[in-house]
Amino acid sequence: MEPRTEKFKELVARELHNPLSQKFLKVMPPIQNMKRSIGLSTFPDIEAAQAYGAAIRQEAIARLPELLEHFEKNALANGAQVFWARDAQEANEYILKLAKERGVKYVTKGKSMVTEETGLNEVLSQNGIEPWETDLGEFIAQQLNLPPFHIVGPAINVPVEEVRDIFMAKANLKEPTLDPVELGYAARLFLRDKFHHVQMGITGVNMAVAETGTIINVENEGNIRYTKASPRTQVSVMSIEKVVPTMKDALHLIRLLCRNCTGQKLSAYVSMDSGPKKKDEIDGPEELFIVIVDNGRTKIYQDLKARQVLRCIRCAACLNICPVYGQIGGYAYGWAYSGPMGQVLNPLLLGLEKTQDLYRATTLCAACKSVCPAGIDHPSLFLYYRHKDVTVDPYFGGKARPAQEIRFFKAWAWAIKRPWLWNLGIKMARPFINKNAREGIIRQIKGSFADWFRQRDLPAMAENTFHERWKNLKKEA
Amino acid sequence: MEQSSAREEILQKLKQAPAEPVGPRPVLPPLAELSMTQEELVKRFTERLVEETGVVYRVKSYEEAIEKLTEIAQAENLKKVMVSTDEVIGQLNLPAWGTKQGIKIMTPLDFVDRDSYKDAVFLEADAGITGADFAVAESGTLGIRHRKDQARLISLAPILHIAVVPIERLVPTYEKAIDQVFANKNSLPSQFVFITGPSMTGDIQGVLFKGMHGPRKLMVILIG
Repeated sequence: MEPRTEKFKELVARELHNPLSQKFLKVMPPIQNMKRSIGLSTFPDIEAAQAYGAAIRQEAIARLPELLEHFEKNALANGAQVFWARDAQEANEYILKLAKERGVKYVTKGKSMVTEETGLNEVLSQNGIEPWETDLGEFIAQQLNLPPFHIVGPAINVPVEEVRDIFMAKANLKEPTLDPVELGYAARLFLRDKFHHVQMGITGVNMAVAETGTIINVENEGNIRYTKASPRTQVSVMSIEKVVPTMKDALHLIRLLCRNCTGQKLSAYVSMDSGPKKKDEIDGPEELFIVIVDNGRTKIYQDLKARQVLRCIRCAACLNICPVYGQIGGYAYGWAYSGPMGQVLNPLLLGLEKTQDLYRATTLCAACKSVCPAGIDHPSLFLYYRHKDVTVDPYFGGKARPAQEIRFFKAWAWAIKRPWLWNLGIKMARPFINKNAREGIIRQIKGSFADWFRQRDLPAMAENTFHERWKNLKKEA
Repeated sequence: MEQSSAREEILQKLKQAPAEPVGPRPVLPPLAELSMTQEELVKRFTERLVEETGVVYRVKSYEEAIEKLTEIAQAENLKKVMVSTDEVIGQLNLPAWGTKQGIKIMTPLDFVDRDSYKDAVFLEADAGITGADFAVAESGTLGIRHRKDQARLISLAPILHIAVVPIERLVPTYEKAIDQVFANKNSLPSQFVFITGPSMTGDIQGVLFKGMHGPRKLMVILIG
């Protein structure tokens, strides 16, 4: 998917006036938050459970190289084949080669964020291999050529009329209907035929367990289970940070993932593959390829603070709780990853220059941090990126602010460190600033600061500063 | 050559990165299920599975299990079913039952190849009947170790999945199942799956419904 993160403001303006997105944003996040709270209440100690999840992810990332080697060794011993890809292109070319060698005309895909990141579908279709997204939401988004609105419910905002039309055109829907259940059933029948005859399936990976070489998928629909049961060839694509130390760790993280994501105690299906099928099994893949993708993550890993973004388990709790996401929805973020998790991840994967607005479109309220089961401190990362951006970090890049702004803040920093100058400045500035006040509030101002006031109000400055009042009080006494 | 270099390069970069200390793990209080009696576990398993619209039937013996199957078969109008060949199902002697009930019983062993088996399980079977290796109380979950006698598509492709589980296989938490299945690294199952309720989605307008790609109904017969 071509990133459009540079068009953030444009997309936000559009989405704020998109009645369909707005309708959904009023309803969906509050329901999801409530379900999450109910789900988490089954833990004897919610805080302890969340903290334990964070500790697992912290450890997994700290021990990443060792765990990856351990995972690879065990996966190979289980009979899987492991391919390492430095970037999107290497991963896509390899998967395309596998498909071509096997002469497949199409593949079925389970939901996979990393293949959205690498743009695998585009590469396959350009080379004559049809990639069928089989998660219902992904299927709809794919048919309509839309980015995901939500990382868990990618097409949840699409109106039924639009789903009906696209299913009539592309998914063998015979009789027009507006019933979501009937529409879902039409997709079931259409994709069932794909599952029946598929020769190669592609899935993502929720967790890769180092101690056993096992890959785990968590889903509700069953499309991933088909994709790992029906075809002779299974390709599972994981980014390097998916690895966890032990099965016990994976189980705790799965408990957290499901509760934080949909509020379920467990999603309908959690499937764990340790190698391809055995010779005497009638279904399951004869060959299992695990593609381990870097695509910029080893670069992130060099920075001790930034690397915490790799702890993310993609539960989407931060999207549902975020006041900014709640206003603008997923399209505005311009790429596969949206909400706070996208705001911390995209700038490092795409560069600070191309994602300027992502780490600024935040209230720094830390709601995301408060729900995160992986212990990510989003607000401190936003500030970290802003600092790197304005100082044009030699490693992560950035874009210097306009010369005038730099000069102003330098002078400001110098002045506010000198109390006499600050007091003098206040006295001199007060009449000019307060001139703009209406009923005690400054809503707009002409000149260099006009832009700042476009989105903000300031109370008018008081007639006397605290220092002045203090002095007067002393005199009176 | 190209491949080994990508691997080395990625691992090299990770190893060169500054080291991050790993602290001790915090305390994690044990789940309530770990101190439950068997009857409490049955209750918990049933409640949790029912929340996900699964149906649980408790019967006393294999004979009663067969009676329950007969009831279900009549209510659901089953004509052809695909059944696994694991030891639980083996005890039920389903071929004899099928003959008596006029239901065609198919097993993966009846098919000469993978494709003809797939045709049958996708297109013909009205239901899939399988044993399950575990019933996990904490979330009303079934655990199945896929193998020769427990094929993957039987519990997935037909619109109805009926699972038969002896009560000795009821465990409080996932760990109790996983510790057994993954104890020996040399005999890991190609796939182990946890099933909690029927297949579902909420992807169109958030409207939840069952039977998206997999079964629309899940029934569990708990024996003992």
